[in-house]
Amino acid sequence: MQFCTYRAQYWQGTRDLLPLVSGVLPFGLIAGANGVALGMNPETIMGMTLLFFAGSAQLAAYQLIQEGAPFVIILVTSVVVNLRFAIYSATFAPLLAPLKKHQRWPIAYLLSDQVYGLCAIPDQMAKSDGERLWYLIGVATSMWLSWILSVIGGVALGASIPAAWSLEFTIPLAFLAMLVATITRPVMLLVSTVSGVCAVLFQLLPYNSGFIVAVVTGVIAGLLLPNFLLTRALSSNKLKQNKSEQTKTQTQEDN
Amino acid sequence: MDTLSLWLLFIIVGLGTFLVRLSFIELHGSTQKLLERSRNILALLPPAILAAICIPSILFSRPALEFQWDITQIAAAIATVLIARFSRSVFWPIVGGMVCLWVLRWLGKVL
Repeated sequence: MQFCTYRAQYWQGTRDLLPLVSGVLPFGLIAGANGVALGMNPETIMGMTLLFFAGSAQLAAYQLIQEGAPFVIILVTSVVVNLRFAIYSATFAPLLAPLKKHQRWPIAYLLSDQVYGLCAIPDQMAKSDGERLWYLIGVATSMWLSWILSVIGGVALGASIPAAWSLEFTIPLAFLAMLVATITRPVMLLVSTVSGVCAVLFQLLPYNSGFIVAVVTGVIAGLLLPNFLLTRALSSNKLKQNKSEQTKTQTQEDN
Repeated sequence: MDTLSLWLLFIIVGLGTFLVRLSFIELHGSTQKLLERSRNILALLPPAILAAICIPSILFSRPALEFQWDITQIAAAIATVLIARFSRSVFWPIVGGMVCLWVLRWLGKVL
């Protein structure tokens, strides 16, 4: 009986992922084709795809490999791009932590933006743990399959795309589109502006270290500036309040 | 970069990414405070990283050392931003930007 509901949840997860494939497929095609354009052989591209299982980190690595950035910078950047997975890890920790290692680790590897998007919504949170788990496994495994197949498609197509099409420009455009989608609060716009300006100013620093400087400056600006502006606004409010209180007490005294 | 160092890079990044994914699942129970403290920084990282990656390579055409402004690329980027504000997918903004780039380059050749 229970087995039946779990299987139903698994297929429900798979079905819910299907509409998202329209976004995954072109992204995978871009990831595969750009690897070919960089001169990597198909085994290396697919090895990278399996090891990363993270499209934006893969594109970031391509961009830096293309620019001839040093090993350490590519490594740090690619992992930092994936730090958002820590949020997903924390979100699903109560659900996944009680599992055995041979179940927990493969599911952790399969965590992705799409899994988070589908499985962390209130509708899912209301289900029992077992149902949530099987729904998540359904989403995660079908996401993995569609990503890998899309990249294979991109590798197959890649060789037939002429260089005059400037396919490599799809990488910064993809990041730009993701950036626009990321900016949901004013502070995000502030962070990306500071970071972008710094990245342009410091792009001549050796070993692409300007990139790291820009990211750190952007995040620090995002952490400090809103607080700074808020305390200034608060203190000016307080001043006004103090003044009005003073006048109140004065008028009381006068009375 | 040669194939061997590429593989080394990919294996280390793959392992690092896996550890990030595993982090809070493995440490569950002992990390609520750390998480609360780092949540703010983790939320600000994506916009900072995405902007730092894409903005220089949009403004300037490569090879990077010459630092030539590229008007066609900037126009393509503006098209991408405009489409991205209306479309929830990442795909259509890229297509729109690329079409804009191709048309402008073609016009540049013709005129």
